[in-house]
Amino acid sequence: MRSRLLLSAARCLWARGAVAPARRHISCDRLQLEELFARGGPLRTFLDRQAGSESQVRGPELVAIAKLLSERERELRETEHLLHDENEDLRKLAEDEIASCQKEIAQLKHQIILLLVPSEETDENDLILEVTAGVGGQEAMLFTAEIFDMYQQYAAFKRWHFETLEYFPSEIGGLRHASASIGGSEAYKHMKFEGGVHRVQRVPKTEKQGRIHTSTMTVAILPQPTEINLVINPKDLRIDTKRASGAGGQHVNTTDSAVRIVHLPTGVVSECQQERSQLKNREMAMKKLRARLYSMYLEEETSKRYSARKIQIGTKGRSEKIRTYNFPQNRVTDHRINKSLHDLETFMQGECLLDELVQSLKDYADYESLVEIISRKL
Amino acid sequence: MKLWGGMLRAFLFGPGRRGGTWGQAFSSWEPHLPPAGLLNATELVSHWTAVFEKRGIPEARESSEYIVAHVLGAKTFQSLKPVLWTQPLTPWQLQCIQELSSHRLQRMPVQYILGEWDFQGLSLKMAPPVFIPRPETEELVEWVLEEVAQRPRVIGTQGGPLILEVGCGSGAISLSLLSHLPQSQVIAVDKGEAAICLTRENAQRLRLQDRIRIIPLDVTLEGSWAHLLPWGPVDLVVSNPPYVFSQDIEQLAPEIRSYEDPAALDGGEEGMDIIAHILALAPRLLKDSGSVFLEVDPRHPELVGSWLRSRPDLSLDLVAVRKDFCGRPRFLHIRRSEAQHGCPADT
Repeated sequence: MRSRLLLSAARCLWARGAVAPARRHISCDRLQLEELFARGGPLRTFLDRQAGSESQVRGPELVAIAKLLSERERELRETEHLLHDENEDLRKLAEDEIASCQKEIAQLKHQIILLLVPSEETDENDLILEVTAGVGGQEAMLFTAEIFDMYQQYAAFKRWHFETLEYFPSEIGGLRHASASIGGSEAYKHMKFEGGVHRVQRVPKTEKQGRIHTSTMTVAILPQPTEINLVINPKDLRIDTKRASGAGGQHVNTTDSAVRIVHLPTGVVSECQQERSQLKNREMAMKKLRARLYSMYLEEETSKRYSARKIQIGTKGRSEKIRTYNFPQNRVTDHRINKSLHDLETFMQGECLLDELVQSLKDYADYESLVEIISRKL
Repeated sequence: MKLWGGMLRAFLFGPGRRGGTWGQAFSSWEPHLPPAGLLNATELVSHWTAVFEKRGIPEARESSEYIVAHVLGAKTFQSLKPVLWTQPLTPWQLQCIQELSSHRLQRMPVQYILGEWDFQGLSLKMAPPVFIPRPETEELVEWVLEEVAQRPRVIGTQGGPLILEVGCGSGAISLSLLSHLPQSQVIAVDKGEAAICLTRENAQRLRLQDRIRIIPLDVTLEGSWAHLLPWGPVDLVVSNPPYVFSQDIEQLAPEIRSYEDPAALDGGEEGMDIIAHILALAPRLLKDSGSVFLEVDPRHPELVGSWLRSRPDLSLDLVAVRKDFCGRPRFLHIRRSEAQHGCPADT
């Protein structure tokens, strides 16, 4: 308590003194978001107008938080002067104060972003992950298997539920195509940025002369609709099983439990032969079918809204090369935000590094929507 | 652990009980040894598929995939870990696959060879000659679950419904109902000793033994229903009774004819023998608004409908017929008439 008093007293004194350069504790990922928050910047102007306007579109909460942010920032600036004080104790106190102030400022900014950036209807939904080998033959399939494993580990890292729906391996242990159902807190919100073409550059295991190859694979992320999001008429479905001919029931004992569902109006097909129980296979095939139909519907809805953005979700983004995994340089680069991370092996374990990249993409997407909102409102 | 179980079964199971086929089985697998160097899962599946095809074994590919996957600790070849597709197998695994495949050459159903199969979400132990649950029956369970979910809670103090299953076999229907309905209780009856033992074992494996009462009982015997009275009136009777017409039995595949208990399949001249017994006993055991759910032959909805009309004393109505996933009328919902109460007149 005494130290707080001392601090505020000292701050007042210093406020009239020389201005020291502000310490920046901003990681470069969040730079663009931070720039939006810069004093006199467009977001500030927007927030000021919100405070001044009578309508206050985003409610009084936003205005209150913006006001609090300004106060904390002023406090921070004032405290920063104390870092040059002769008194060592005071300097120490100032450092602590600055740390807590910065933490609070970050939280306030985060709250403002949450209030301003509209959350997507599907953010909380579960999703279907689909991976497909692209150009590069066996090497592309090997890489596809590694990427699928990476997402499985990422799901475990995020404590999400992960269930493989189908898996079509290649002869030498690679993967042609696979899909999985992923569910858990904000699963789609995180995973939606992973859709697109992933490129690998390395010397393949199959290459005898040590040349570096470039291969690709594609990731698709489909939000899983809830019962209300999507209603399918059972009459629009044709369900194929191996038991379709003959008497069925007790008259036959077949073990082929594979199920294929065709959605007649669209021709979309979904198959599953992952389980011994036919009913389970049907449930899984249905899950996949629903996700495909839903994403078709969503794309129609949203293609106009997001067409100008760098970070694309859905089909548009599916054909775009989003990331390169360069093994000789031990680097992964996301081309949408021009961010590189090193230590590929750790990255592909699907833990902190992948999460860091996902976070950066989320930040950038937030930045893009903020810019959109501000430019609309200004 | 699982692998050991599989191997133990492979070695212990079959020869003792089916001495007759053992000699043939033994002689038939020697010539089918895969050539040296054929050592990974994918190649073994191809090898055994070719052998099965040559010997006219149905579902050649599926059978070899299930056997190889089982020995490698997976349920389906599709769900096998990718590294295991190409990894060399150990001599023990090879021998085990060899052993299990030899049973398939004798037309033993895959479910008996593996000693387990899945029904709804459950893995159940399978053992000859106990009837192997068919995928259609999963839909019977679905229907019962739907009805229970829709029904207003008339059940009262006890909580979930009290269900009677006639002819429980491996316990598939009873145990999947119990696992989906945490408040429910089941009385499961079967006349076969092997079925009673297998249902009990599966109940224990799934830790559902506390809510199931397993009773050896032949419902075709005079007054058999009286044994069930102490367990109180039930909300539902569920059954997949033997419904194959006697004259069709001869045409069934060897997998069924030579391995499964005929008593679980043969329903008499019109496949109605056991169905009629169940329907005759139902009114004595059902609560006032209780229901019977049956799996039947596609010819049965009509036969059962007219049979019920000829027995107004039973006060049972056929209220709904549902088709299976292949579009055949397969399931019946029969309800006790609300108008008449008490026991039938002939008591």
